[in-house]
Amino acid sequence: MNDFNFHVKPLGFLDMLYFKKMVPARQKALSAGAPDQPTAVCGANRLAARLHPASQQLTISEVVEHGADAKTFVLTIEHPAPFRAGQYLSFRLQIGSSVLTRPYSVSSSPKLAFEGKYAVTIKRQMDGFASQWILDNWKAGDVVTASGPEGTFYYEPLRDAKHVIGLAGGCGITPFLSMAYAIRDGLEDFRLTLLYGSRKECDILYYSELAEIAKATDKVRIVHILSDERKEGYESGFITAERIREAGGGEPYSVFLCGPAAMYAFVDKELEKLKLEKKYIRHELYPAPASPAGLAGYPGGTKERYALTVRCFGETRTVPMRADETVLVALERAGIAVPSRCRGGECGCCRARLVSGEVFLPQLLDHRRMADAAAGYIHPCCSYPLGDLAVEVWPEQS
Amino acid sequence: MEHAYDAVVIGAGNGGLSAAASLAKAGKSVLLVEQHNLPGGFASSFVRGRFEFEPSLHELCDVGPANDPGEVRRLLEQTLGAAIDWLPVPEAYRLITTAEGADNLDVVMPFGVTAFVEKMESYVPGSRKSMERFLSLCESIMAALAYIGASGGKADPKVLMKEHANFLKCGGYSVSRVLKAIRMPKKAQRILLAYWCYTGVSADELNFALFAAMVYKYLTKGAWIPRMRSHELSTALESRVRALGGEIWYNTRAERILMENGRVAGVRTARGDVKTAHVVACCSPNAVFGDMLDAADVPEAQRKMINARRIGARGFVVYLGLNKTADELGLRDYSYFIYETMDTVKEAARADGFNGHPMQATVCLNRANPDCSPKGTCIMSFTTLYNKDVWGGVSPEAYVSKKREVAERMIRDFERQVDVSILPYIEEIEIATPATMARYTLNPEGAMYAYSCGGWDTMLPRLMMLKEDQIVPGIRFAGGYGPRIYGYSSTYLNGELTAKLTLADMKEAAR
Repeated sequence: MNDFNFHVKPLGFLDMLYFKKMVPARQKALSAGAPDQPTAVCGANRLAARLHPASQQLTISEVVEHGADAKTFVLTIEHPAPFRAGQYLSFRLQIGSSVLTRPYSVSSSPKLAFEGKYAVTIKRQMDGFASQWILDNWKAGDVVTASGPEGTFYYEPLRDAKHVIGLAGGCGITPFLSMAYAIRDGLEDFRLTLLYGSRKECDILYYSELAEIAKATDKVRIVHILSDERKEGYESGFITAERIREAGGGEPYSVFLCGPAAMYAFVDKELEKLKLEKKYIRHELYPAPASPAGLAGYPGGTKERYALTVRCFGETRTVPMRADETVLVALERAGIAVPSRCRGGECGCCRARLVSGEVFLPQLLDHRRMADAAAGYIHPCCSYPLGDLAVEVWPEQS
Repeated sequence: MEHAYDAVVIGAGNGGLSAAASLAKAGKSVLLVEQHNLPGGFASSFVRGRFEFEPSLHELCDVGPANDPGEVRRLLEQTLGAAIDWLPVPEAYRLITTAEGADNLDVVMPFGVTAFVEKMESYVPGSRKSMERFLSLCESIMAALAYIGASGGKADPKVLMKEHANFLKCGGYSVSRVLKAIRMPKKAQRILLAYWCYTGVSADELNFALFAAMVYKYLTKGAWIPRMRSHELSTALESRVRALGGEIWYNTRAERILMENGRVAGVRTARGDVKTAHVVACCSPNAVFGDMLDAADVPEAQRKMINARRIGARGFVVYLGLNKTADELGLRDYSYFIYETMDTVKEAARADGFNGHPMQATVCLNRANPDCSPKGTCIMSFTTLYNKDVWGGVSPEAYVSKKREVAERMIRDFERQVDVSILPYIEEIEIATPATMARYTLNPEGAMYAYSCGGWDTMLPRLMMLKEDQIVPGIRFAGGYGPRIYGYSSTYLNGELTAKLTLADMKEAAR
């Protein structure tokens, strides 16, 4: 580079005065600032706080029963964070000495959030520790703690086809109900055909609400499919490739799925027959199974008991852990409130450092960042212990 | 529970990580607190479906190849011992201007000084001489900056006058003024200015020494990215902090800085109080002096200083996971700059608000990192800047549709200018606005570029005023708010510099 034969001359009319002036100019400008107390909380920061509050204290204003095993809780707060139809709230629960979270899709219209309300619908799961407790304990007037709206299970016009075929199983109807409301209320603009699978007629949630929406807008259509009984006015059987193709009517469509694991297992096989591009198939979270038994590739047992050594903010303690539960559940049972939201490996909120030991991570649930996987980080919500473990976590409280 | 550390670093952004690692390496006990659940600040990654996206990094300058390392590679690998799998960026940039007429440009510029000059000559015959002048000035500036850096803030004016006269002559001027003085043809100036958006400051306001040093580093050392998104950089540094004995607390916000008799006594965190006499803040002075200290503990001069400074550009990024390869889509280049014109004053003014065709710096990641996404796919990101807090004025009700509207315009503009089709192939999309960046970094107005380096607040006077900028003893700033200004490379170097200054503070306190 030294062969460039350049002299000072062409710069002749620039002078060093400017250089000398730089410091005095900056001194002068800095001292001319307003003397007011500054803040880092400005417009975009306030917007961020509205959209993504760290947590929300919600008052249960109303409880609606759907038969014996499901309830809708209407939750109020002065300024709820707005959400996109299909998103969930993660609730922080204390049950006995356990501290845990559960994600539940918002089932109400996004429009209601602007009026101070969310609704979530919770169905009693047969062995559901949290759902049983919620149905038996939450009552009007109680205050519950939730996250801001989370999740990516929503319609996005830049990505999805203008026609969405929603495949819902059981309580998996809730995000679709919110989407249907959003369409009716003019907040979303797409066609939604719902193939809603229930066991029996009496298991259908929101039958009349869905019927009313379908009456109010021709963009929403509902097809009920009963697997365990034949009844007039309902299709019977399962959500099959043929039914999906028929609903599509030869036009491009996106398929959105939300339901229990057994439904995913069945419908995913049906979808393969349709040879859709990946971009046209979107699943709501696969929740991590309570037990790893039966997961493809799982090498461990289910009866073993292990020791979990937990490092929190420089302090270390050891708590018991079972082979047939996730590391997150072991932490929660010990009362260690590690942050968590989706409980299906996706959101990464529970990111923890695996100091030693081995875990089993179902491939389907492993959404870790590459560098995290390489550096030994795990998402405890979908990690099952294969022996004694040591982890470092940074809980909200302990 | 009583915690005590030689230093507490607030914020695990690039500067916080490099400062914490540097302090730990010097044998100091260090606590690094971070409000988020992972390190890096802007240097991170996120997963959607089968894609892992890069949130902010386009390319690092001053890395260079292993056999000719730049300052950043030397710091991260040799000094701090971080292991990073670097990939070179193939070409400098493709620059497109959209306005019809004589100003219309569509050029691809290479790295390498000779190649760059040759290519410029092919686009602008007769530009060679002025380019050589420019590069010679770049060399003078690099040499002078090296001298000033080595002098530890005590540069001898006589040496500067004698050996760095060219630097003194051009170092105080704007880019526009110097390019005019060296009689660079207008068209060559326009091509050369492509990188201006990396500072967010127009050529009339941008200090020449700063710009020249950046361009020169890119041309001589190329540009580099880590294989596993910038989260690889952050986890590599994080593990070094720990290996060197440092402690890291995630999900932990620093709430207050505790003062006793006008000196730092500790930091109040959500996990309790931590004793320390030295705080390195990898966050905004607005947050530290406005929100973490009582007004009574903040001298008026400090408040004036903060309020006088201008908040730097706020970023807006559209991330796309596409279900076609870069080849199939016809994306030949890694880095695209698309501006309306190269009148950077006008362009910077357009960024004051929403406009129909935002400028964009767009990347097809697979062009530098072919295996960054699954077979048959590729990743793109489209970035634009805002020079005012316009997103702060968007209502929560309008937010989603506004960000989609801007994203769609940027994608459509790109399709038109590069003559490709993108929209039908979107498998995953995420959009980050200044509110998103405010959420994750807590920077005021979601600023990506800390305090603007435009006009009087550029790097040189910041470096020359290190002493007097330090008003409250025991509190120093790393990251984008540090003296070497913002941008990946600068923030790592800021962290190292701030650690050095803090070590000197400790020495002095011990005396």
